[in-house]
Amino acid sequence: MSEKWYPRRGPYVPISLSMEDPKPMYRQIESQLRDFILSGVLKPGTKLPTIRALARDASCSVITTQRAYRDLEDEGLILSRQGRGTVVAEITEEKMNARRREAVKVVFGEAVRIGRRAGLTEEELHAVLDETLQGDQTEIEGDRS
Amino acid sequence: MTQGSIISLRDVSKSYGAFELGPIDLDVEPGCVVAVVGLIGSGKSTLLSMLMNLVPPDSGEVSLFGGAFPEDEVAIKQKIGYAPQLPTGYEDLSPRTLCELVSYFYPGWDQEAYEGLLSGVTIEPDRPFEELSAGTQRLLIVALALAVGSELLVLDEPTAGLDPFARSRVLAGISRFIADERHRNRTVVFATHAMEDVRLIADHIAFLVDGELLGLFETGAMLEGWMVFWPEREPEGDVPGMVEFDSGDLVRLVSDSPGETAEALRARNIGVLRTETLDLEEILSHLMRRRAERRTESPHARE
Repeated sequence: MSEKWYPRRGPYVPISLSMEDPKPMYRQIESQLRDFILSGVLKPGTKLPTIRALARDASCSVITTQRAYRDLEDEGLILSRQGRGTVVAEITEEKMNARRREAVKVVFGEAVRIGRRAGLTEEELHAVLDETLQGDQTEIEGDRS
Repeated sequence: MTQGSIISLRDVSKSYGAFELGPIDLDVEPGCVVAVVGLIGSGKSTLLSMLMNLVPPDSGEVSLFGGAFPEDEVAIKQKIGYAPQLPTGYEDLSPRTLCELVSYFYPGWDQEAYEGLLSGVTIEPDRPFEELSAGTQRLLIVALALAVGSELLVLDEPTAGLDPFARSRVLAGISRFIADERHRNRTVVFATHAMEDVRLIADHIAFLVDGELLGLFETGAMLEGWMVFWPEREPEGDVPGMVEFDSGDLVRLVSDSPGETAEALRARNIGVLRTETLDLEEILSHLMRRRAERRTESPHARE
């Protein structure tokens, strides 16, 4: 949603809800906030908008943002304290890495499935991974020069 | 009436000639946004009009805020902002007069909401309502309803015929209404044909088909309760949850029980190329088809 015609106060997190994405709105909010948190853009202790402010920003309902916050709290990513608002939780480096690894595993799993479907053997899959790693390395070196 | 409901309909029915609405049972909890969805002529407007006692039911009980019509009519209506599809009595009134009139009667009048909704639209303040464009009329009616600062908002197709900018302002207006810090139990009921409005802002969907309320569905649960699978090959025999199946070059399977379907495909060693959420529109048409089948099996089910 575009323009806002009322004043905005307090913390702000850019959330954009997409109609192209058929998933429920609270899932979209969850995954965008999760990305911000796991990538370190939102650091532990960062104050998040209230459920009402977030609903107004995203043009959705309060029950939607409430649900998103509740799910993220269950995941241990955020903390809500009565009267003190919602903040990004302290996440141990270990847990953070585990979550990141999980995300990578999902994508790799998908890649392996596509590879097997295409008839690639295990060695060939390894080779593709090596090639990709090498390509990525050259790209980074290329950026530096 | 269920404890804590803002709106409670019990066994409510109304008939006009061959059209029959109900019997309807419906409870709306405070703080919710409910979208009333259904084809043209399914009874959406009649249902909303009943909330304002503009159409009294033939039988059954309508109660709002714990009160009933006609005894508590004034008290109830003071708590509702209502935007009909076609207002009557507005014809000769100008936007300026309408705003003055309505704001005078509602102490909670929210000028910021009114002006916000109409920002970006050029409205001649002294032109009679009937001479305004259809889109401007709609926006004005919705702005008036939003700005009365009520506890309950009842909107009949608030985004119909609006350009995308006006539409997003209306949706932002509804969101701003429901998310107001000072009024924490505000409730919205709106009729719409736009699935985008429903997906963006509705917590529940009241789905009307031919005057029958198929249910009050939770939007998120409904979207997640159905799934399209693209299995790599055609499964033999019955697959649990499967409600639709197309086999061509690609096999497409619609399930209303995604967990069970996924499990069954895994057990048969059938890989899944892709899964996706089913469109809300498609889910609703499945529900309609299911109802039609049920009625063919027992044609007198409602009698």
